[in-house]
Amino acid sequence: MADGHAESSKKRDEESEEGLDFSPFWGIEKGAVLQEARCFNESQLDARRCQQVITKLLYLSNQGDSFTKVEATEVFFSVTKLFQSSDSNLRRMVYLIIKEICPSADEVIIVTSSLMKDMNSKIDLYRSNAIRVLCNITDAGLLGQIERYLKQAVVDKNATVSSAALVSGHHLLQVNSEIVKRWSSEVQEALSSKNPLVQYHALGLLHRIKQNDRLAVSKLVTQLSRSPLRSSLAQCLVIRYVAQVIKDTKVDEVTGERPFFDFLESCLRHKSETVIFEAARVIIELNEVTTRELQPAVTVLQLFLSSSKPILRFAAIRALNKVAMNNPSSMTNCNIDMESMISDQNRSIATLAITTLLKTGKESSIDRLMKQISTFMTDIQDEFKVVVVEAIQELCLKFPHKHRILMNFLSNVLREEGGFEYKKTIVDCILCLVKSIPDATEAGLTHLSEFIEDCEFTYLSSQVLHLLGELGPSTADPGKYIRYIYNRVILENATIRASAVCALANFGSCSVALRARVLTLLQRCLYDNDDEVRDRAAFFLSVLRTIPETDSECVEDPLIYPLAPLEASLRQYLENTGDSAFDLAVINQIHNNIASHPDMHASAFDCSSMNISSTKNDLRESENIITSRGEFMSYGPIFKVSSYSSSVVNSCHAVDLTEAETEYKVTCTKHIFKEHIVFHFMCSNTIEDQILENVSVVTDPIEGIEVFAKVSTIPLGTMPLGQFGSTFVSYKRAQGLHPVAKMACTLKFTSKEIDPSSGEPESEGYEDEYTLEDIDVTVTDFLTGNPLSAFRKVWDTLPIENEKVGDYSLGTRDSLGEALEAVVGILGMAACEGSEVIAPHARSHTTLLSGFFVGGHSVLVQLNLGMGPSNSVAMKLIVRAEKPYIADMIHTLVSEA
Amino acid sequence: MGYFSWFFGLMGKRKTKVNILIVGLDNSGKTSIIERMKLQSGKVPKGGMPQEVTPTVGFSVDEFSKGSLSFTVFDMSGAGRYRNLWERHFREAAAVVFVVDSADKLRLCVAKDELDAMLESSELLGKPFLVFANKMDLPTALSPVDVAQGLSLDEIEAHPWQIVPSNALDGSGLQEGLDWLANFLNK
Ligand SMILES: Nc1nc2c(ncn2[C@@H]2O[C@H](COP(=O)(O)OP(=O)(O)OP(=O)(O)O)[C@@H](O)[C@H]2O)c(=O)[nH]1
Ligand SMILES: [Mg+2]
Repeated sequence: MADGHAESSKKRDEESEEGLDFSPFWGIEKGAVLQEARCFNESQLDARRCQQVITKLLYLSNQGDSFTKVEATEVFFSVTKLFQSSDSNLRRMVYLIIKEICPSADEVIIVTSSLMKDMNSKIDLYRSNAIRVLCNITDAGLLGQIERYLKQAVVDKNATVSSAALVSGHHLLQVNSEIVKRWSSEVQEALSSKNPLVQYHALGLLHRIKQNDRLAVSKLVTQLSRSPLRSSLAQCLVIRYVAQVIKDTKVDEVTGERPFFDFLESCLRHKSETVIFEAARVIIELNEVTTRELQPAVTVLQLFLSSSKPILRFAAIRALNKVAMNNPSSMTNCNIDMESMISDQNRSIATLAITTLLKTGKESSIDRLMKQISTFMTDIQDEFKVVVVEAIQELCLKFPHKHRILMNFLSNVLREEGGFEYKKTIVDCILCLVKSIPDATEAGLTHLSEFIEDCEFTYLSSQVLHLLGELGPSTADPGKYIRYIYNRVILENATIRASAVCALANFGSCSVALRARVLTLLQRCLYDNDDEVRDRAAFFLSVLRTIPETDSECVEDPLIYPLAPLEASLRQYLENTGDSAFDLAVINQIHNNIASHPDMHASAFDCSSMNISSTKNDLRESENIITSRGEFMSYGPIFKVSSYSSSVVNSCHAVDLTEAETEYKVTCTKHIFKEHIVFHFMCSNTIEDQILENVSVVTDPIEGIEVFAKVSTIPLGTMPLGQFGSTFVSYKRAQGLHPVAKMACTLKFTSKEIDPSSGEPESEGYEDEYTLEDIDVTVTDFLTGNPLSAFRKVWDTLPIENEKVGDYSLGTRDSLGEALEAVVGILGMAACEGSEVIAPHARSHTTLLSGFFVGGHSVLVQLNLGMGPSNSVAMKLIVRAEKPYIADMIHTLVSEA
Repeated sequence: MGYFSWFFGLMGKRKTKVNILIVGLDNSGKTSIIERMKLQSGKVPKGGMPQEVTPTVGFSVDEFSKGSLSFTVFDMSGAGRYRNLWERHFREAAAVVFVVDSADKLRLCVAKDELDAMLESSELLGKPFLVFANKMDLPTALSPVDVAQGLSLDEIEAHPWQIVPSNALDGSGLQEGLDWLANFLNK
């Protein structure tokens, strides 16, 4: 049987190859065809010849040849002359080429009248095609003129005409949905057509017309589920719509019955395989499907596994593969069938069978399975291999005891030929296993060491070397890796050599026993002909020499200095061109300060997210200035930086407090610390003949006086001309209170005029002040996002007593997405697990948000949105936090926004 | 003359196909004239004039026959934005029918400009021009003589031409005009 297949498919291949040779169009040239197209302009048309030329043009365009605008226009205009011919075959080609070549909206419109005539012609072929083309090119203005005809055509007794109108309805929905909606009774009528295609198109259109009306859809589906449709494609659509309705309705609490399940089950007995698959697929994807519900679907699919048609086998195994992901136990019966499929002629089927087996397999069957796979691996392509390796990784994590055999398998395939993607997947897989299964570490590292002995991919070699440096020193016998690593220094390109040097250094610093040997090896690297390699070697040599003989500590990765402050201080250093050496301690100090603090992660995250979103690094710059000042060191690390107003959260521009075009420019940035808040004012003088000295900003809390107590004001000596100078005001925040405030700000300074004759400033100045705009401090300033991958887990750790629930009305909104965006914008928290993605047309949605309140307190939010009639959006907000007052704060923030 | 055309000639079926361009400003009555001619040649069975005529977008092609001639008419839209489309059809046209709304005195000069441009085209050189002074029934209509004068027809030298008063609503004048054309084209 299988042989027969192979033979016939081989025959077909040959045929198609021959067909290629004899294709009348093979190798035709655009220029020549365009020449030929002149025959369209002849006054005595040769219909057959014109048809052939159009076919050639269509062929070219389908082959990817494109026509220039001039060419397209020329062809189009001459094609329009072909409307004079009444040859129906030629006319059909004319319709096709018009759709294909459509030069520009302006020009294409000139065939409108001709098409409208055809639309009313007596020839069905003309009518159906004219409808399709016309709807393709029509604009809103003309639509009104042809609507009447289209509506009639929907119920035309000719199936092609009716289908054409229905399909055009689909397209027109995007252009003008109102018009199409007026057809609903005609479309309903078409739904009962005897022609399957018409039925299919009618159902699709009817559903789209009604799709925003849940009740109507549910009614339609209920009605259709009672009487099966003639068209199996339409029946598939019904199944899909049913799936949607099931998703939107709740399981019956009392009986636990799912609505429409009987219908789905009955579809599993349909005479069309397409319908059966559709029903099985929907059942498999049901939310929280039970084993009992799955059983009938799995049984049917199992039957298909032994079908003689590859397409059925493929569809069945693919569906079962899905089952295996969530309910592997419900398909144990299929294992035997699937095992025989490993040798299936069709590699896609075989791969799916294997990956499915890897998911359903029991610990006891792994050995047998791996043997089968090994022989199979050699004759499939890389993209299939990748899938298999990924499945093996999952399996290994599931059955860590089996790591030996699985790791062996991986090392074997690693040694075989393969492209980058494939090799990378294997290496990633080993890395993952090494890190998550302690017992597998040594074996994994050994395999990887052997791999880099003969690895053609620089990226992978570097990655492995890094891992060896990281994990190797803590293994039982670190010495054995040294040889592998040093070999790389001798044999490889500069990038790999540099990575190898780092790895070596790590061994040297962590292991007292190996240090002397490593030093010798590094010494040799000093003669490397690459700068980077030499630099690294020299650096590590000097670091290693400073470590006391008996100590073992890992070499500090120079990159753990926070990059931004490092860069800022280096730049400052270069500008000052001082004689003293650059002192890393400055950064080190800041860094240690951060490292010793539990908030570090929040802060680090915040920086990185800012970095991504910032175009102008105003905030970043301000942050660097703050961290490089000694005064605020005792406040700990910065939790969040924001510009002054809550309405511009995430904006990374500092906010101007002065109007443009004044004599001085002042911007403000807020820095939130664990218990403090620092306002950083950047001031700049814009007038040349004055000097502003002793500059400070006086802040007066108008609101929030009970929360914020002023700690210090740091004035600025002189306001520089054209550049920014900094002055600061810091406040301490009372804990447990709602951190909201409004500050009135006044700029104070002493102004001295410059004497134009001498160019010297006057000795006596006068004091002056200038009112700045108010600064707002809001709760959002104290919140940062903290995306979680396992929301539920963290949610459950937070005390339920601290849970606060509230209902809000968000007014009418265009979509749930818009409403969600608004709320997330106010809260400034991060959405988790992709829950910010809302299904199109969803009427309800739940989003999970997570964040930190200053001080490292987790805050989690479950946000349920629902859209009622007339698009009014209601929101239920469930908040859990470590402290009840924080949960309250979130609610206040939302209700006051 | 080949064997086949002799055969068809014998059967009285073979008709000479001629392409005709029908142009003129928008709303002058081109489409109405064609519909009426089709009616007269018996192409539209019964039911009289088909509904109301809508302004033509771009162009549309029609056919009817008259004696031994089979006319393929390109009914061009007169709307300003489509007028440059006319010239794309000059080459294949055997004759031009130019329709003027005799009651539209205001735009007679525009019609004249369009006509002059066509008369100058080398692709139409020597081809016959039939001018319909249409909408004669309207009380405000100019006389054919006035229309001819407004269009300076008597200055035309390189083309045979004829002006015929017409009314597309009842068909009067159309027959006469067509006879002149047929006569010319049969030669
Ligand atoms: N009274 C009168 N009305 C006419 C006559 N001929 C045409 N009309 C009317 O004039 C209007 C325009 O006629 P159409 O045939 O659409 O004119 P057209 O030249 O084809 O116009 P476009 O396609 O826009 O270039 C219609 O309302 C006709 O009923 C006529 O001889 N007498
Ligand atoms: Mg018209």
